[in-house]
Amino acid sequence: MPNLTEKISSSVDFIGAFDPKIRTFDIIMKTANGSSYNSYIVRGSMGVAIMDTVKKEFSAEFFERLESLCDYEEIKYIVLHHLEPDHSGALEELMNRAPQAKLIISGRAVMMLKGIIKTDIAFETANTGKRISLGDKTIEFLSTPFLHWPDTMSSYLHEDKVLFSGDVFGSHYYDERLFDDKVGDFSYAFKYYYEHIMRPFKQYVMQALNLYNRFEIRTIAPLHGPILRTNPQYYLDKYEEWSSEEKFRKNTFGKKMLSVFYMSSYDNTHKMAKVIMEGADTIDGIVASMYDLASLDEKNMIDLLEESDAVIVGSPTINGDAVKPAWDLLSCMAFLESQGKVGASFGSYGWTGEAPEMLHDRMHWLKFRLPVQPLKIKLIPTKEELDDCFVFGKEVAEITMGKMVEMEMEI
Amino acid sequence: MVSLFLKEDNIKVSVPNGKTLREVARKTGASMEFGCRVGDCLTCVARVKSGMRCLNEKSDKELIALEVLGGDINELRLMCQCRIECEEGEIEISYLV
Repeated sequence: MPNLTEKISSSVDFIGAFDPKIRTFDIIMKTANGSSYNSYIVRGSMGVAIMDTVKKEFSAEFFERLESLCDYEEIKYIVLHHLEPDHSGALEELMNRAPQAKLIISGRAVMMLKGIIKTDIAFETANTGKRISLGDKTIEFLSTPFLHWPDTMSSYLHEDKVLFSGDVFGSHYYDERLFDDKVGDFSYAFKYYYEHIMRPFKQYVMQALNLYNRFEIRTIAPLHGPILRTNPQYYLDKYEEWSSEEKFRKNTFGKKMLSVFYMSSYDNTHKMAKVIMEGADTIDGIVASMYDLASLDEKNMIDLLEESDAVIVGSPTINGDAVKPAWDLLSCMAFLESQGKVGASFGSYGWTGEAPEMLHDRMHWLKFRLPVQPLKIKLIPTKEELDDCFVFGKEVAEITMGKMVEMEMEI
Repeated sequence: MVSLFLKEDNIKVSVPNGKTLREVARKTGASMEFGCRVGDCLTCVARVKSGMRCLNEKSDKELIALEVLGGDINELRLMCQCRIECEEGEIEISYLV
């Protein structure tokens, strides 16, 4: 370790850990530059606060840094901005070493705490506006849920104007030079992190930015990657720009977008897709489009799904399943907000025909609104069956435009 | 039957006594968002704008979870904990809290 600790401001030091070898984070993220688990110590005239810990296997590095700056008896507070294991891995051991310290977590973290620490420990909860004092230093908490865990909160050190933002503004980018003006070009890692971690929670990002904007911020201290001190407003602006992008169709043409995604082995599901799209396109306010999943890469899938107000997925049934590209499409929803999107499924089949129902089920768990039952047709669609496809597309489009659905549940 | 209106989904559904709102979501395809489904995570918190009397009472566990949110929780419910307990009536629910 070239520098055991690093000064962030007059009363804040970095005591986190570096993970240069990690190449995949949380299963879904590539980390070409490794990463870091940032943790900080805040020193006041009446004690210190430890802001987050590190992943468990990096505990030794964390404790070595911590011990170089304080005695355990001095620790008054331990703040966990969220309980994800890469930041709570050393919590239990830290609480053993500093039993007098008060643990501060968000209200939403209470139910998770027992899942992380398997014993009862004392804690206090913090919501927006709660303050703790270290004598001459004051830390104020901000509730910033779902960024990217439900229990996420942020905090602000008033005297030093440091924002502890949790995972917000993080990057998976290992560089022991630590500060944004000293490390290499991490701009791709900053955006990649946003797109994979924060993009599904855009509305919550905007809520958090409103809270952050109440404060003058000199330094942003996130939980991964470089500490942002050169021009913090630049990073706030980037998050605002990415989170407030309006849908292109809606913004440019005042229309809602309905997308029909399909795969077809003998052209039958394709025929259905075409007529469903035509039916949908007859509804005022809708622009309907169709896409062959055989020729869409993941980036296009994500962008089209995000843009679409309604998503209709068609697949033939092969060996009792929908085809892989249809599953690949729906797996892209992990990167997006699905709440409020209308969904539907369809497909031609030869023998058993489970695919549309299976896709319908998957879309249910992905929180699509699914007001119409799956549509399936045996082999080559007849003219009457294509008429059903037309009505199906029209119905989904009407509901997307706000038509009320009335139904009755059986006893 | 109880007439249940889900505001953001614009769905009006007649629901018999005894059905849970999870069953309603499943049947109607409504977009109400569930997380843990056991009343811990607060993901499914929603506002019952009218007709609270047609739902089961809040359990102690639900009350403790809702109190975390602070403020007036009288109209709030965790959808995963709700069941229709009424033969006749009208309920309106908004997912916006």
